[in-house]
Amino acid sequence: MSKKIDERLPKNSGQGVVTEYPAIRSPWGKLVSFQEAMHYVSRYDAVMSAVVMQAFRILLPDYEQRAQKMCVSAYNRLEQIQKMYGKYSMVEHNVHPFCRGNFVGALTGDSGDDALLMCGRVQDFGTYRAEKELDVCDWDIVGSDLCRATTQSLQACADVWATNLRPSKSHLEYHMVEAKGCGDLHCRIVAESREKYPMPPHQQWECFGPVATAEQIKFTPEEECIKESMVFREECDYTFANGTNWERDSSSVAMVRMTNAASGYIFPTMMELIQDGTLDEKFTDHVLHCLFEAAGKAAFGEAYAKKGLLQWLGVPAGIDDGRIMGGHIEMYLQALGCEYEIEAFNEKEVIYVIDRKALSFGFDKFVTAHVSYWYGMTKTLVNAQWSLWEESQDTPADKLRIKIAKKIDKFC
Amino acid sequence: MYYQNIYKYDDMKRSEHMAVRQNVGWYLWTHQLIEVTGNDAAAFLDLLFTKPIGTLKIGKERYTTMLDEQAEIIDDVVVFRLAENTFWISTLFAPYMLNWMNMHKGDFQVAYQDITEKYHMYAVQGPLAKDMLNKLVKNNIDEQKFFSIADNEINNIPVKINRAGFTGEKWGYEIYVPAEQADAMEEILRTAGAEFNAKEVTEFQIMAWTLPTEAGFYYMRDLRHTNPLEVGLEKGIDWEKDFIGKEALLKIKETGPQREMLGFTIDEADIFIKGRHYGGPGEAVYVNDEEIGRVYKIVYSYVLEKNIGYILAKKGVLNIGDHIDIHGHEAVIVEKPFI
Repeated sequence: MSKKIDERLPKNSGQGVVTEYPAIRSPWGKLVSFQEAMHYVSRYDAVMSAVVMQAFRILLPDYEQRAQKMCVSAYNRLEQIQKMYGKYSMVEHNVHPFCRGNFVGALTGDSGDDALLMCGRVQDFGTYRAEKELDVCDWDIVGSDLCRATTQSLQACADVWATNLRPSKSHLEYHMVEAKGCGDLHCRIVAESREKYPMPPHQQWECFGPVATAEQIKFTPEEECIKESMVFREECDYTFANGTNWERDSSSVAMVRMTNAASGYIFPTMMELIQDGTLDEKFTDHVLHCLFEAAGKAAFGEAYAKKGLLQWLGVPAGIDDGRIMGGHIEMYLQALGCEYEIEAFNEKEVIYVIDRKALSFGFDKFVTAHVSYWYGMTKTLVNAQWSLWEESQDTPADKLRIKIAKKIDKFC
Repeated sequence: MYYQNIYKYDDMKRSEHMAVRQNVGWYLWTHQLIEVTGNDAAAFLDLLFTKPIGTLKIGKERYTTMLDEQAEIIDDVVVFRLAENTFWISTLFAPYMLNWMNMHKGDFQVAYQDITEKYHMYAVQGPLAKDMLNKLVKNNIDEQKFFSIADNEINNIPVKINRAGFTGEKWGYEIYVPAEQADAMEEILRTAGAEFNAKEVTEFQIMAWTLPTEAGFYYMRDLRHTNPLEVGLEKGIDWEKDFIGKEALLKIKETGPQREMLGFTIDEADIFIKGRHYGGPGEAVYVNDEEIGRVYKIVYSYVLEKNIGYILAKKGVLNIGDHIDIHGHEAVIVEKPFI
């Protein structure tokens, strides 16, 4: 096969003619706005995280054990990070020197939510109680064990921030008392001072309530729920603003590119369990490989799913080969901000060389997951004659070269 | 839908708030401090702030706004004159202020630094605050005037006593103490306070929201993207001197401000209305189906026993005494301060 690039719009087509517009663009010139692209990549990664979670559930079937491991891992990791960067983050968030106690940590939860497109509102913010309500969470398909772990990451941030302030007699315990991942209308964090509102002790993973101040909850009815972060809402002047006056523009939502549920919560726990011998790495990889292939196949198993994607990408009539899969991958990579080069793009083969580090979210297993996922997709988005695989020979270690072409494999 | 008021039934918050109103309350109230020195310090600060700084006498202070070129308030601060060429600025946004100073320093012979870590500050506020402090200080403070700062001593700890506060109390003081003496100072205040039924205010919501709002004060979030003419802070602006934002503010003065910050009360206690003090846009306020403003803040007044707050509204639409609907609840437009 010749590594040629078939007729397609060059990457810089139209540059300088049309006023620069922040968008991602399909190989056929279809533009997708920054706002939609961020939503797209956020949900895409959430779907992948759901697959990783299913793998983890196979590997570690006991809910309590799994949730506890994830909570401990999340707390410890965020504790280390905040010990390094917490002071800087507190300056950004305008934490005032007169504040005492870990309630100020609620500020980082609030800004982080908005940047991750998990829009909602602060309902209470005080030394002894804080409450945040979310209307949207792209991670709501991953699993309740993840919800618990995210609560512990917030707890860690809050606890470390408090160490940079004058000591307090109040220590807030953060609970997620409602979770969209559990079917609730909202996600709701209620943080309570155990000195003011005593409750029985509990295990770390049991950070789902009950809380002592349930009667103080401010529940927003469905008809008043919002769908967008402040940076995408006119009533907010397209600006995120918190109660201590930290303001950010829409570039803040690029945070969705920096993390996802799987990379931040599930993979680290898996790796810790591999290191301590609880999990076998070979079998872990096998499970990930199997599940991602199946998930990829399921994504375009129905004709309407393929039809929808063709329309979204603006694929011209008559194209029904590996380039469709290539277009799908390119949109994701652009939305993710992951650099890639096109080595071939024609009716017989499509080859990309991708920045491996940017794709990995810090965990190389996520690259493997992508390859398996895209392989599965290729089987249904194009057809079973087509395949997608990694070509590692003559490829630098920091690059991922993938090829989409027809291939017969008697052991697939 | 029933929303339990987070203030009304909370005995702890109530007792901390009412201690300040009835006896005395004390609390950590450390702000960020920027020290400005140099031959041109006064002139430099006159450029940054709307009110006159060069005319301040040594030992006196002034509350003033700081504007950007569009006349938007970017900070509201207290400036102290400690010596002829030495000033302190009390702010909650020191990093931004330092950047702003860097941008406008030009040829001014001036130096500035963030000295926040050197001092903690304790507020002692309420009718018995003076009596309580007089039991502690080396030099009696009976004659200390409002908005003045003076060196003093408490248990051999060198302090600066500032007569001021964010509560609206006539007898309000702030003690600047070397940071390493903060533990000792807390113990001194705790012990001395017993005689006066003093209470330590520990709740952020009381020190930052309920006490100041009753007094009609602003917390920085209230002022964001407003100008002094909209929020009633034009008094004392020195129109004779140059200051950043003056040109834009003069234009606004000529045409009149488009918005105004109004006070409101709601008798109904158990409601929930979104205020900008939590972040976000605040609840929209409608009159005849037209959005005329947003709720900037809503808290509870323990003195009035009702909800109180601010609306930034289109100028001239609402008048004192008007009854309006905010998210299904009857509100009354009232004068500020509330007490």
